[in-house]
Amino acid sequence: MHAHFSPTRRALLAVTFGAAFAPAALAASPQGEPILLGVSGPLTGPNAQYGAQWKKGFDLALDAINGAGGVKGRPLQYQFEDSQADPRQTVAIAQKFVSDPKIVVELGDFSSTASMAASSIYQRAGLVQFGFTNSHPNFTKGGDFIWSSSVSQADETPRLAKYATELGFKKLAVLYLNTDWGRTSQTLFSNAAKSLGAEVVAAEGYQPDEKDFRSTLVRVRDANPDVIVLISYYADGALIARQIRSVGLKTPIVANGSVYSPKFIELAGDAANGVFTETNFFPGEQRPEVQNFVTKFRARYSEDPDTFNAVAYDTIVLMAQVFDQFGTERAGVRDGLAKVKDVPSVIFGKATFDPETRRVAGARAVYLEVRDGKFAPWDGVKPTTN
Amino acid sequence: MNSFIDYTVNGLVIGNVYALLAVGLALIFGVANLINFAHGSVYTIGAYVGWAAITFLHTPLAVTILIVAVACGALGAAIERVALRPLQGRARIAPLLATIGLSFVLDQLVQLIASPNPRALPVDLPDWRISIGGGSVGPMDILIAGVGLSSAALLYGFLRFTKLGYAVRATAQDRDAARQMGVNVDGVNSAVFAIASALGGVSGLLVGMYYNHIDPAMSFQATLKGVVAVVIGGVGNVPGAIVGSLLLGLTESYGIALFGTTYRNLFAFALLILFLLVLPNGLFGGRKAVEAEPMTGTFIAPSRALRVPDYVVAALAAGAFALPLVAPAPYLLQVLTNSWLAGLLALSLTLVAGAAGQMSFGHAGLLAIGGYASALLATDYGVMPLVSVPVAGVVTSLLGTALVFPAFRLRGHYIAIATLAIGEIVSLVILNWESLTHGAMGVTGIPPLSAFGYEVTSARAVYWLTLSALVAFALLQARLSSSHIGRTLRALRDDEIAARSHGVKVTRYKALAFGFAGFGAGVSGAISAHLFSYLNNQTFDSQLSLLAVTMAILGGMGNILGAIVGAVALVGLPEAFRFAAEYRILIYGIVLLLLVRFRPQGLLGTT
Repeated sequence: MHAHFSPTRRALLAVTFGAAFAPAALAASPQGEPILLGVSGPLTGPNAQYGAQWKKGFDLALDAINGAGGVKGRPLQYQFEDSQADPRQTVAIAQKFVSDPKIVVELGDFSSTASMAASSIYQRAGLVQFGFTNSHPNFTKGGDFIWSSSVSQADETPRLAKYATELGFKKLAVLYLNTDWGRTSQTLFSNAAKSLGAEVVAAEGYQPDEKDFRSTLVRVRDANPDVIVLISYYADGALIARQIRSVGLKTPIVANGSVYSPKFIELAGDAANGVFTETNFFPGEQRPEVQNFVTKFRARYSEDPDTFNAVAYDTIVLMAQVFDQFGTERAGVRDGLAKVKDVPSVIFGKATFDPETRRVAGARAVYLEVRDGKFAPWDGVKPTTN
Repeated sequence: MNSFIDYTVNGLVIGNVYALLAVGLALIFGVANLINFAHGSVYTIGAYVGWAAITFLHTPLAVTILIVAVACGALGAAIERVALRPLQGRARIAPLLATIGLSFVLDQLVQLIASPNPRALPVDLPDWRISIGGGSVGPMDILIAGVGLSSAALLYGFLRFTKLGYAVRATAQDRDAARQMGVNVDGVNSAVFAIASALGGVSGLLVGMYYNHIDPAMSFQATLKGVVAVVIGGVGNVPGAIVGSLLLGLTESYGIALFGTTYRNLFAFALLILFLLVLPNGLFGGRKAVEAEPMTGTFIAPSRALRVPDYVVAALAAGAFALPLVAPAPYLLQVLTNSWLAGLLALSLTLVAGAAGQMSFGHAGLLAIGGYASALLATDYGVMPLVSVPVAGVVTSLLGTALVFPAFRLRGHYIAIATLAIGEIVSLVILNWESLTHGAMGVTGIPPLSAFGYEVTSARAVYWLTLSALVAFALLQARLSSSHIGRTLRALRDDEIAARSHGVKVTRYKALAFGFAGFGAGVSGAISAHLFSYLNNQTFDSQLSLLAVTMAILGGMGNILGAIVGAVALVGLPEAFRFAAEYRILIYGIVLLLLVRFRPQGLLGTT
C-alpha cells in the first residue's frame, strides 16, 4: 500500500504524522513553478489579530510541506492581500485574484460581511472561495465554488447544549455576540437546550466592541439562572468572565469552543478557573495530527496554538492534498474538494466534504474545564448547583 | 428596587471610566476648539506604554502612572507642535482632519509594534470589594474615580487660580486678543495638549487595567463615547465633562435595564441627540459656547477653486468611459468602480457640507438606508433592481432628510457630532429591527443589478453603469450649484445669519440640499448592495463616514470634480500601497497628514 504513495503523498504524511513516516531530510527542496494560493484577510484594522494568527498557521504548514518536497516538486506559496475585513476591499481583491491565472484557489475572508460580498465574483469566475472561518449558514449557498471548512454551528452548538445539560444545568442564561455568527449559534443553542429539557431564562446580545457588562449581568442575575452560557470569542469571553466574578456572581460559566485560546486565560486571569468549554482542538489530545501540529507550533513560535492557528494549518494541508490528487486547475480544485476523502485534520480528525452543503461534518469535540489557570479535560464531576 | 440600585451603581462605574477620557477631550475642545480624534490613540498608547513599563521594568503602579503621564504628555506636546501648530490660522476643518490622520498613524504604529492581539494588563491592587446593593465596587473603581475627580479638581483650580490658567482661558476666549496682550499662545496650546494627553494616556492605562485588556483597536470607540460625554456636559467645560460622563453611563445602564444589552448604544446616541436639540450648550456650557462657533465660513477653508476647463473635464470623462476598452483588467475596473461609488458618496457630502455648510459625519448612514431599501425590496418583495435602486434613492432622500431635519439649526462641530450620532443610530436600528432588516444576520442573496432579466455582472458592465450614475449625478449637481439654489446654499454656508436676514428660508434650503444629497448617497448604497449580494449592519460603518469626509475635504469642499478626485485618491491609495501589506494604512495616514499640512483647502480648492 505504501508503495503506491507518490512522493507528495509521503510528504503530506510527513506533515501530518511527523517525520517518522517519511524522511523529510531526504526530499529535495521543490524547484518548480510555485502553486499560488490567494489569501484575503485582515492584516490591519480591528480584526488584524486573526489575520496574524492565520499567517502563523499557514507558515507552519508551508514549511513542512515545502521542506518535504512541495506538491509534485512545486513549492506552495500564498499571496496575502490585506482586506481589513472590509467588503469594499474584498471585492477588489477578488477581481485581482480571479484575473491572475497563477492563483489556483482563494482562502478567506474573515468575517461574513467581507467574505460574502466577494462570493459572487469568485463564483462567476470559477475560482474556489474557501472560507475556513465562515460560519454564516448561507455562506456556501453562494454557489458550487464556495466551500467552507468552518465547523458548522449546527454541529457545534447542540453539543455545547448537551455539555451544559450533562453538567446538570437546567436554567440557562445566554450571552451572545450580536453578529450573524453569535445570532445563529444562540438560536441553535437555545433550540437544542430546550429539546434536552433545559430552559433558556435570558438571552442578551452584545456588540463586538462592548467592554462593560456589569448592567447586563444584573439582568442575567435577575433571571436567576443556574449557569451563564457564553457565545463569545476569547477576548470578549474573557472580559465577561472577569466581570461575572468581579461583581460577585458565583454562577458557573459554560463557554462555546471559540473561547478556546491561551489568550482567554491570560485575559480572564483567575476568573477563567472553573469555566467549562468544549473544543475541536486541544493540544493535550493524543491524536497524531494534533500532537504533530502542537509540537511543531511550539518549537517555532514558543507558544501554544489556538483554534485560528489550527484551522489555517489544516486548510493548507487540505489544499496540498487536493492539488496532489486532483491537480491545480481551478475547476479541478472544486471537483477535488468534493472527492477528497479523510484528509488528516487537527480539527476534524479526518476531513471529508459533503458535496451538497460544501461543508465538513463531524468536528472533533473534547469537553474541557479550566483548572489552575490551564485548560484540562473535564473530569466528569458535575459542579454543585444551588 | 435592589436591581435599580445596582443599575445606578453600574452606570456610575462606567460613567466614571468615560469621565477619564472626557476630561482631556473637554480641555482640548475648550482651548483649541477642536474635536481631537487622536485623543483615543493617545489613550491607547498610554495603555501600551504602561504595559511595557510593567512587563519590562516591573514598575509599581504609582511609577507606571508617572511614566505614562510623562510619555503621553510629551506625545501630546509633539502632536500639537508637529501636526497642529502649522495649521494655525487655517480653516478649523484642517486640524480636525489632521487629528483623524494622526489617529490612523498612531493606531497603526501601536499595532505594528505591539501586534494586533489583545494583551492582559494585570494590576497589583489589594483584592477587597465594597458591597453596594447586589453588586460591589473594588479598589480599581475607586482609583479611577479618584484620578478622574482629582484631575478635574486640579484642572479647575489650575484654570481658575494660576497665571498659566488665566492664559489658557484667555486663549480659549479670544486667541488674537490674548496674543496681543502678550500671552504666549503657542506655549499655552502646547501646555494644554500636554496636560490633556498625559491625562488621556493615564486613562488608557487605568481602563486597560480595569478590564485587564488592551488592544490597538480600542481608540475609536473610546473617542466616540468621550465626545458624547463632552457634548452632554457642555463643550470645553471640565467639571461638565465629568457630569456628562456619569449621565451617559447612567443612561446606558438604565437602557440595558429596560430593553436589553443590544440597545445600549442606541440610548447613548439618542441622549446625545436629545441634548443637541434641547440644550446644545450642554449642562454647564454658558451661552458663550455657541457664539464661539463660526458665524461665518471659517469652518471650511475659503480659497479660490482651481479652474479646470470644461473640455478637460469632458476629455477626462470620455477617457474614463473608454478605459475598459484599453485596460480591461477586472481588478483595476473594480477599484475604479469602488471609486465611482465612493465618488457618489463624496458628491453627496460635498453638497451638504461644502455648499450648505452642514458638515456630516454620519454619511455612511445614508448608504446603509439606500442599501437596505434596495436589498429588501429586491429580496423580500421581488422588485427588480432597475426599479429598486432609484426607489432606494428616493427613500434615502426622504428618510435621511427627516432624520437630520431636527439638527438643521446646529452649526460647525455640533452638526458634525449630531450627524455622527445619527449615523450610529441608523446602524443600531438596523441591528435591532429584526423583523424588517433581519438584524445581525444581514440580508443574503441580494440579486445582481438587472433589468428585464438582463443581469449586469461583468466588471466592465458594472464599471460603465456606476460611472454613468456618477457622471449623471455630477452634472445634475453642477447644474444645481450654478443655479440660484446653489448661490443661496453658498450664502447659507458663508453667513447663515446674513442669509436669514435677507429672507432666505434657511431650513427649506438645507432640506433641499439634504434631499438631493440623500438621493445620490442612497443610489450609491443601493448599487453596492447588489454588487456585494450581502449586507449587514457593519457594511457601512462609521469609519466609512470619516472616509467620506476626508474625500470631500481632500478634493476641496463644494468642489464637484474635487469630490471625485478625492474619492479616486482615497480608494486608490490604499490599493496602490498593497505591496506594503501591514504598513499600507500607516502610509495612507501619513499621506493624508501631508496633504492637510500643505494643501488644507483640498486638491482642487473650495468653490
